[in-house]
Amino acid sequence: MTTTFVDLDVRPILKDGGEPFDLIMKAIAALGPNQGLRLLATFQPIPLFHVMKSKGFTHEATEIGEGDWEVLFTPGQAVEAETPTQAPAAAAAEADDSKWPDPEQQLDNRDLEPPEPMVRVLAVIETMQHGQVLSALLCREPIFLFPELEKRGHQWRGGFEPDGTTYKVLIRVLHNKEAA
Amino acid sequence: MAPAGTGVIPKEKMMLGVTLSRWTMSYFFAALSALVAAETMMVAGFGYPAAGLRAPETLVLVHVITIGWLSLLMCGALFQFAPVLIARRLYSDTLPLPALLLVLAGLGLLLAGFLQLAGWLSTLPSLLPIAGVVLSAGFAVVLWNLGRTLWPARPLPLPARFVATGLVSLALTVTFGVIFATVLGQQTNSEPLLAIAGAALPLHVAAGIGGWLTLTAMGVSYRLLAMFMLAPELGGARPKLVLAFAIAALVVVVAVGIGAVLTGASLLIPLLAGSILALVSLVLYGADIVHLYRARRRRFIELNSRMAIFALASLAAALVLTFALAAFGRFTDGLGPVVFLLVFGWLSGLGLAKLYKIVAFLTWLECYGPVLGRMTTPRVQDLVVEHRARKWFWLYFLAVWFGTLAMLVGQAAAFRIAAAAMLVATIGIISEFARARLLSDVEARSDGPDAVRRPHLLFSRPPAN
Repeated sequence: MTTTFVDLDVRPILKDGGEPFDLIMKAIAALGPNQGLRLLATFQPIPLFHVMKSKGFTHEATEIGEGDWEVLFTPGQAVEAETPTQAPAAAAAEADDSKWPDPEQQLDNRDLEPPEPMVRVLAVIETMQHGQVLSALLCREPIFLFPELEKRGHQWRGGFEPDGTTYKVLIRVLHNKEAA
Repeated sequence: MAPAGTGVIPKEKMMLGVTLSRWTMSYFFAALSALVAAETMMVAGFGYPAAGLRAPETLVLVHVITIGWLSLLMCGALFQFAPVLIARRLYSDTLPLPALLLVLAGLGLLLAGFLQLAGWLSTLPSLLPIAGVVLSAGFAVVLWNLGRTLWPARPLPLPARFVATGLVSLALTVTFGVIFATVLGQQTNSEPLLAIAGAALPLHVAAGIGGWLTLTAMGVSYRLLAMFMLAPELGGARPKLVLAFAIAALVVVVAVGIGAVLTGASLLIPLLAGSILALVSLVLYGADIVHLYRARRRRFIELNSRMAIFALASLAAALVLTFALAAFGRFTDGLGPVVFLLVFGWLSGLGLAKLYKIVAFLTWLECYGPVLGRMTTPRVQDLVVEHRARKWFWLYFLAVWFGTLAMLVGQAAAFRIAAAAMLVATIGIISEFARARLLSDVEARSDGPDAVRRPHLLFSRPPAN
């Protein structure tokens, strides 16, 4: 069984400061059986690997010069669900591919000692309206924050900036203030 | 979406977070109890240096320390922090409890088996083989759980690769231990196994203290020190070289060593070559850690990071001492003090220092995480009183260094005084952990934690929903 690859070059989008995630997901959805995706990007899109893995793709990343990367996503058998708790969060995220509004609030928490970045993010979220988005800069992946966001029903997207040291997370607040 | 030009990578919508490991506190409690027990034995003059290095009493003492204290401490910490290293959840939050019970039961049987060798409990059949079975079952559950946690995260980030190598070393250490137990329990006549039991003790020690405990501590320390001091994560070639040399050292010592044991050759060459490789690894690691302390963005660092310096200094001192002893041709009789300094100055010192932060941090997260943003919450540092804890840490490290000296000059009575000081200091430190865990100092400063659920001393409650 041979895999053919569909090419997707997102470097122009990334260089313009755009976000190719939706485009990548659409390209994946359009793949036929035995088709993989060859992605060209301006950095190694590590967080994408997790997403693709959950969709049953293995990846092979090669640096092709000038900081650009070629990633081959090959379809395999679907991986087992890693934890039961992942399913609802993934489903919630899948169900909502609509555009997020521009961030209502911005936080730069890069120079705060842990867990202060998490405290500030959660405090600001409590003041925000349903559907608003918070953007926060951090100096590392806020892994203890995610379960709290999940428990409170908010959505988030995050990843390292191309500089590799700043982590940016966007959080869409999904509670009604009255109900909270 | 985000404004143009921000360059945010928005692809991960359901990135997994890390939750609290339910039984980590239970591991810490069991581990600290074993530490107190071991120090009590040393005060009482039980085991080395009062008894010989290979005496059954010394075996009891050594395994209370290495399995009861250090391994349980490391396992409990890994159930919480291996997931942090790879930003995934622990494979099972249930398995740590049966694993803990099996390891404790196996340890109890092992100690009883050693006492049989010393002529106690001689009416029973040898307990060592069954101890080997129960202990290895306990560690197998630990390895399965952590292995299943790490496996899907390949390719692993560097600190997690240290941990993975440490886990392989744990498996090797346990395997050697089971072979020793089988032979000492007179359950086998297999010549290769008899040869291994006869000569492979240095390999068991190297895989255990070097591969399992030290490599794992190094891997976790890269991440934790950076995290708590706000230093940039280390990249570049040096940390990779640290791991490469460490793995090379392990392969040389264990693989070549087994070959030497089975062919009846001397272990001197693989041990020497392994020591040199390990030394290179440790020197590079030291350079990395110095870099982390220098590159930190927090000028004032907390007690745990300051006390970790004493542990790292103990590691460096143990290396210097090893070479000084080798240079004077006194390496063999100096082995006890060197191992003592490694185990109590480096591993235990680092363990106690990091626990001081970890216990407070996990307790804070458990109690205040759910209400963050909804009410005023104390800071993590409000759970501890550093100036009160500092004296106990100072006493602990001074006592360890004094004890090393006493051992070196062969003063058994002075060593017992040092051990008594260590015991007092340890109990002092443990009482600080308990105060942090029970929110005692938060209560003392304010109206108390009425609005939050009180944490249980011995385990973390599962999340409310």
